Amino acid sequence: MSDTVAGRSRAAARDRLDAAGASAAGLDVRRALQLGLAAIWLLDGVLQYQSFMFTKAFGQMLAATSPGNPGIVSSPIDWNATLIEHHMVLLNAIFATVQLLLGLGIAYRPTVRLALAASIVWALGVWWFGEGLGGVLSGVADPVNGAPGAAIIYALLAVLLWPSDRPVPSGAPAPFVAAHAVGAQVARALWLGLWGSLAYFALTPANRAPQALHDMIAGMESGEPGWLAALDKHSAALVANQGLAASIVLAIALAIVAVGVYLPAPVAKATLVLALVVAGVIWVVGEAFGTILTGGGTDPNSGPLLALLALAYWPLAAAAKPRADRSLADDRPEGITA
Amino acid sequence: MSIPAWILDIFAAVMLLVAAVSAGQLVVARAWTRAGARDADIALSHLLMGIAMAGTLVASLSTLPNAAWEVIFAVMTAWFAWYLWRETRGQGAGALVSGHHAPHLLHSAAMLYMFAALAGPAAGGGSGMAGLATGSSGGMQTLHAPTLALVFALLLIAYSVRDVDRKACADGYFHVVGRHFTPAGPALATAVAGVTGQGGPAGLAGGGDSAVATMLQPEAAEVSSGDLVTSPVNASPPERLLLCPAVVKGCRVAMGVTMAFMLLIMI
Repeated sequence: MSDTVAGRSRAAARDRLDAAGASAAGLDVRRALQLGLAAIWLLDGVLQYQSFMFTKAFGQMLAATSPGNPGIVSSPIDWNATLIEHHMVLLNAIFATVQLLLGLGIAYRPTVRLALAASIVWALGVWWFGEGLGGVLSGVADPVNGAPGAAIIYALLAVLLWPSDRPVPSGAPAPFVAAHAVGAQVARALWLGLWGSLAYFALTPANRAPQALHDMIAGMESGEPGWLAALDKHSAALVANQGLAASIVLAIALAIVAVGVYLPAPVAKATLVLALVVAGVIWVVGEAFGTILTGGGTDPNSGPLLALLALAYWPLAAAAKPRADRSLADDRPEGITA
Repeated sequence: MSIPAWILDIFAAVMLLVAAVSAGQLVVARAWTRAGARDADIALSHLLMGIAMAGTLVASLSTLPNAAWEVIFAVMTAWFAWYLWRETRGQGAGALVSGHHAPHLLHSAAMLYMFAALAGPAAGGGSGMAGLATGSSGGMQTLHAPTLALVFALLLIAYSVRDVDRKACADGYFHVVGRHFTPAGPALATAVAGVTGQGGPAGLAGGGDSAVATMLQPEAAEVSSGDLVTSPVNASPPERLLLCPAVVKGCRVAMGVTMAFMLLIMI
């Protein structure tokens, strides 16, 4: 009896230690990911200072996201684009500075909550007024070119990396970093919704047309350095007239990624690696690094954000172990210890 | 239309401020003496970079021809590369990321690249700066090998974010400051033990909390430390401000962000 009690105590203590270790490791990883998000915001801010953003072309670029959207969505976009064209220097300088401050604010520990909260509001505003809701409602959303809009992923990351820990009744550690703030179930549902929507967008008529992917990639060549233009040219040639097949392959890959977080840890890791690879290919080939190298990119686009998101779902080592131990222990009758 | 001049003026003013602070640090630390020479190279590099960047941003602030800056930053890059190589011998490859001289090597190399890769004014009025050491021509400057500019910019941003995240004075952030406020290693342990009345700080290995504790009680730290040169208690408020870890940290972050800004707008 005493052995049993002592065994239980030891197991409980070990679980508590494992949970504490997992929690500490999770927090460290979360801070690292917050800094990654801060770096991207800082990059956004600096890019917003480029000379292109102080021209009427910037306002016209924003206005181009309006067509195809419902009136209630497009009217504010048009109004905003006109406003920016009329006051482009002042407003763009404010935009750039705000994004710079968001990056620095997230990186600075005492202001991380304030900056993350502000980044959510800002990102949602940019998603609507700057990206036309990512083309989700206008039917032009393309996962290879930034759908469902990079800005909404900024907001999602800010929520998932929020520096608080949702209490878990069982006391078990969060299985991955993104689960700390909103809980594992909600985090998994958000992941499924995002990557599932990407899989859906890959199969929309506009994206599965024979030359759709080819034309999109080929269109990225202009203004890029020689090596990137050559890469885009060859990639475009590879998918010429293969739009439907490429869309199906991409949709399958995205769907596997979407459900991956519900699978056991080893399989989930494999699907997360797939997510990282997909994000990398999208960023380099489909988004050409957000066209930063042309001098006209406002942000690095969705590739790095998707990669950051995937890392937030990477199973925490210390969390997986006690769960495996617990599943074994749960099978044993009460009172029997190893 | 290019970037409004007043934005470039603001960045140039910030760089001049950084240069002035660095010059002040060299004076306060008596960098020309043997005792004060430690890490004077870092303050000197900040001084030169501040002047060079201000002159690059605003043509009227230009001081030396680009070729001269190339030589200066080539020497500086080699200097910090040598120190970093020595650090890797002691600390391993980790020094390449977290070594004391790693960010300074990056800054110097980025400046060297910037001056070496400057191309002529862009024909079509693309991105670039009107006042970029082109005198009164008003032409736009761009950079050769823009991919390298992006790589440098990303690294500079990464280091800047890391600097903002770190507590000032953590792991001997800047020794000119450290000598005044944060004695390193055993001296720090002794100093904080004196403050806390314990055998040593619990978080000494991490460095951060201990450093903060020492910063909060600098007089206790210096009483216990034998290698302090100047007393912050006796230092005048301007001297204390110049050597304040937050100011030093702010200077480096401002420099990193401005350098990334310059590289990206010249792509």
